[in-house]
Amino acid sequence: MLLTLTSAALAALALGQDIDTTVQAARGDRLDISSYGGDVSIQTWSRNAVRVVASTSSRGRVEVSNVGAVVTVRTEGRRGPPPHIDLEITAPAWMRLDLSGVYTDVKVAGLQSPISIETVQGDVDVSGGQGNVSLQSVEGSVTLRNAKGRIEAHSVNQDVSVSDASGEINVETVNGEISLKHVDATSLEASSVNGDVRYDGPIHDGGRYSLTTHNGDIGLAVPAGTNASVSVSTFNGEFKSDFEVSVTQTHKGRRLSFTLGSGSAQVTLESFQGTIHLARPGKLEEGEDER
Amino acid sequence: MSDQWTDRLSEYLDGELAPSVRAELEQHLLQCAECEATLADIRRVVGRAGSLADRAPVGDLWPGIAQAIGATPPGGTKAVPIASARRPRRWSFSLPQLAAASIGLILASGGTVLLLHPGAARPGVAPVQSPSVINVGVEPRAARGYDAAVADLERVLTEGRGRLDTTTVKVIERNLATIDSAIVEAERAVESDSANVYLNSHLAATMRRKLELLRQAAALISAAS
Repeated sequence: MLLTLTSAALAALALGQDIDTTVQAARGDRLDISSYGGDVSIQTWSRNAVRVVASTSSRGRVEVSNVGAVVTVRTEGRRGPPPHIDLEITAPAWMRLDLSGVYTDVKVAGLQSPISIETVQGDVDVSGGQGNVSLQSVEGSVTLRNAKGRIEAHSVNQDVSVSDASGEINVETVNGEISLKHVDATSLEASSVNGDVRYDGPIHDGGRYSLTTHNGDIGLAVPAGTNASVSVSTFNGEFKSDFEVSVTQTHKGRRLSFTLGSGSAQVTLESFQGTIHLARPGKLEEGEDER
Repeated sequence: MSDQWTDRLSEYLDGELAPSVRAELEQHLLQCAECEATLADIRRVVGRAGSLADRAPVGDLWPGIAQAIGATPPGGTKAVPIASARRPRRWSFSLPQLAAASIGLILASGGTVLLLHPGAARPGVAPVQSPSVINVGVEPRAARGYDAAVADLERVLTEGRGRLDTTTVKVIERNLATIDSAIVEAERAVESDSANVYLNSHLAATMRRKLELLRQAAALISAAS
């Protein structure tokens, strides 16, 4: 029994050599990757299997296993922290991905499944993802395209960019810009402290959209026919609109509100000391460039 | 900003108002942007409560926080069954209580679960009774709780910084400084216009952001240990 388990657990254990190994995966299995440092590149294929290609030095090793419905890929050091090891992984598009890294740049393309990625010093670049998609980097940028579902994209020190995506979207950074382009958000919460926030996409009836920043500009593309109650707040900033709006309420402290159409959606735009700009779809960046 | 309806907004959200009162309030909301904005802020807090992940605490910070805000019941904190904690809780949010509630929410989400709203309850989670965190009639307590939580987490960062890469520490400290600067600016703005709903909620959100980043740093230290 123990021997069988050990055999299954160590489908591949490479030490100080190039590895190219493939383990079988059954539908529903999860891919769990732990990479201390290096580039991790994940792409998809039609086979129900996971292929791992890597080069390791004598100081590091890569462990690949499939136990308990989890395909695990782990970089390890012989003594102390693992060295940087680049991983090229190919997996089925349906396979859920959990990845954690430290000095790790991550690039994923083609997965149509839930994705969770956390890294500290590295960029995250994902094309794809369905269901819960959660991407986080402390020091790197986060870029997401072609995702659908409940999306979280967080950075601390860099920009966050989401495009051609749809669903409930939550994006934030401290010291970076947020760009949401061709995004179909049913609800949106986008917040930065020291950067611009821009959203170009539909505003759905009944949806809630919140774009906030402290020290940056807000840009919102508003499609014709939008039904929204819009609340605009700033302290030291300005408000401008490329189209006419009928302000229904103004308040002390540079706050105003107005209704578009039936007012069904709730839109909150807040910049402590930046410009809040309404534009038509596709015109947002032109407007920003004019400044 | 406070009027006769302000303190009834939470009941409105909870669906506890009589139909006639509800209709009257809804009519009022059409004419009162302040109440409408406050309602939106409360909704945001509730939404945040529902979306908060149950992150494991880096350390058990709750006793210190609870003590700081006077929330420790006799005999200390204890988990209670969900069923007994699900009784409807009446809110009494108003400004600047909303700011305190918002901060209290994030204080409570680190290792203890706060049922701010019955709808925020999730199966399998045993909440800790800490009503004082959102008993926002006591904003100074919440402020002390915030200060205590920040101090706790800053101590974790100071003591554990050697376990993180120096670049990572610098990045975290630089971003904390960015947030601190924003907090100072927001505080000054609130001093100049204390009844401003936006400024109060913005200050609370920025303070929350600092806590979140400190908590993230503490989690990195914990993971590196």
